[in-house]
Amino acid sequence: MLLHLKRVNKMQQEPVVRLEAVSKVISSKVIIDNLNLEIVPGQVFGFLGPNGAGKTTTIRMMVGLISITQGDIVICGHSIKNNFEAAIANVGAIVENPEMYKYLSGYQNLRHFARMMPGVTKQRIQDVIALVGLDNRIHDKVKTYSLGMRQRLGVAQAILHNPKLLILDEPTNGLDPQGIRELRDYLRHLCRIEGTTVFVSSHLLSEMELMCDRVAIIQNGRLIDVRQLKNEEGVAVTAAEIAFEVDQPRQAAELLGVDRVDRIENNQLILKVSREEAADINARLVQAGLKVYGIREVTRTLEDQFLEMTGSEQIV
Amino acid sequence: MLSILIIFSVLMPFVFFMASSAEQPNVWEVTQITMNVTFFLNIIFVVVIAADSVASEFSTGTIKLLLIRPWSRSKILLSKYISLILFSVLSSVVVFGVAFLSSNIWFNYEGNSGMFPSTSSNISYTLMILGSSYVQLIMITMIAFMISTLFRSSTFAIALSLFVLFTKDIFLAILNPDQYGWMKYVIFTHMDLKGYINSSVGPGGSSFTFSILVLAGYYIVFVLLSWFVFKKRDIAT
Repeated sequence: MLLHLKRVNKMQQEPVVRLEAVSKVISSKVIIDNLNLEIVPGQVFGFLGPNGAGKTTTIRMMVGLISITQGDIVICGHSIKNNFEAAIANVGAIVENPEMYKYLSGYQNLRHFARMMPGVTKQRIQDVIALVGLDNRIHDKVKTYSLGMRQRLGVAQAILHNPKLLILDEPTNGLDPQGIRELRDYLRHLCRIEGTTVFVSSHLLSEMELMCDRVAIIQNGRLIDVRQLKNEEGVAVTAAEIAFEVDQPRQAAELLGVDRVDRIENNQLILKVSREEAADINARLVQAGLKVYGIREVTRTLEDQFLEMTGSEQIV
Repeated sequence: MLSILIIFSVLMPFVFFMASSAEQPNVWEVTQITMNVTFFLNIIFVVVIAADSVASEFSTGTIKLLLIRPWSRSKILLSKYISLILFSVLSSVVVFGVAFLSSNIWFNYEGNSGMFPSTSSNISYTLMILGSSYVQLIMITMIAFMISTLFRSSTFAIALSLFVLFTKDIFLAILNPDQYGWMKYVIFTHMDLKGYINSSVGPGGSSFTFSILVLAGYYIVFVLLSWFVFKKRDIAT
């Protein structure tokens, strides 16, 4: 039993996607430089970078739209270069705006793409339509659809065949806040319940922070960093700092013990403590006669970290 | 498009009936005259579809969704070509069938206006003309399909293919293969195989086999070119 669990665990760690020393050169200009990346199954993986970093190029190489100059991309054990059909069978993707056949209805479009993939039943198509919320308009021609509806149809065609890997390039383009929220919830549902691995590239850092478990940051075609945002249970990994706004910061620091205090900014004491400890500290400060004006969490947002890492944005 | 072909095929025999001369043509002759016009229309329609086929996938962007499927690019290109051929077969059968049926209404089998040569039977002559017209259709369609794949522009593909269709006769007249020997190796000389029905010597002194070989050679080059470019193309937009 234990051995079985161990094996399952090891299988679960077998990466869904592996980029092995991937390079792309166009007319002697190096667009992507020796990119190495591994994505383990069951998480939402974010792909960030400034404009022109090479995100879209990388994604297009992953799905076979652009050829790989050097290196290889392996999806679920199959190489995109040598074994394209087997590799792509595990992938559903939306690359930039999902364009459908405008003169066909949404339903006809889905039938058309469903026929190209084995094992997609009519029932599955109906389920997917319900999932993306297009039941009312599915039989109208796509040219009557709004952008949000087309995005939803795009998601629908990507998940028809229950892919192990869902690749989305800027999926929130043109969606209203509700649409973005629905997409985010839906992706997390896919990930947690159905075990699909989601690979998202986006500019919206706040969105990525909410959506992703792990992010990779790319700049000038090179991988700069990979960091974990949330752990297995979906709890944020970065430690929170608590800032206490008091009237006499130095006295407060002495009271608490100067080594415990991280730093003092303006009138704020900044400490790395848990929620419980923060409540205790508040009580102690008040008992000592100090005034506490406010207690808040200070976190360096993804945006701060990102801008710090990528430095000044030089147009390549 | 099919409806236009059908309408023409139905009406033209009727028009001939109204304008009948002293010698009544028979069913086959009327069918043949009708097809002279309608098959030409047929070629134009098939060419338009061929030119649009691959190019529109690129211009609308649906090519992305088509290629992110578990099918190699070769299979996808082949499937497009097969659907094109199927349509051309359908439309050619419709052109022939409807003209024939319509001619049957107004004419009979006895008449003879001397259009056809007496060497072969009416049926076989008609079918041979049909066959050579279809070969011409296949060649022009392949050119259109190739331009569509290479240049990803339907307008360009339609324009260039129709240009070839309309001007090849002029080229042949000016650059007569009997005078210019090298014209024997140019495809235009051999696209119209009708001449071989009456004589075994074709333009520029070539034989039937030679024409077929030249056509086949060009066809293979077109296929390879389209296939290679489609396979290797980076789809970046």
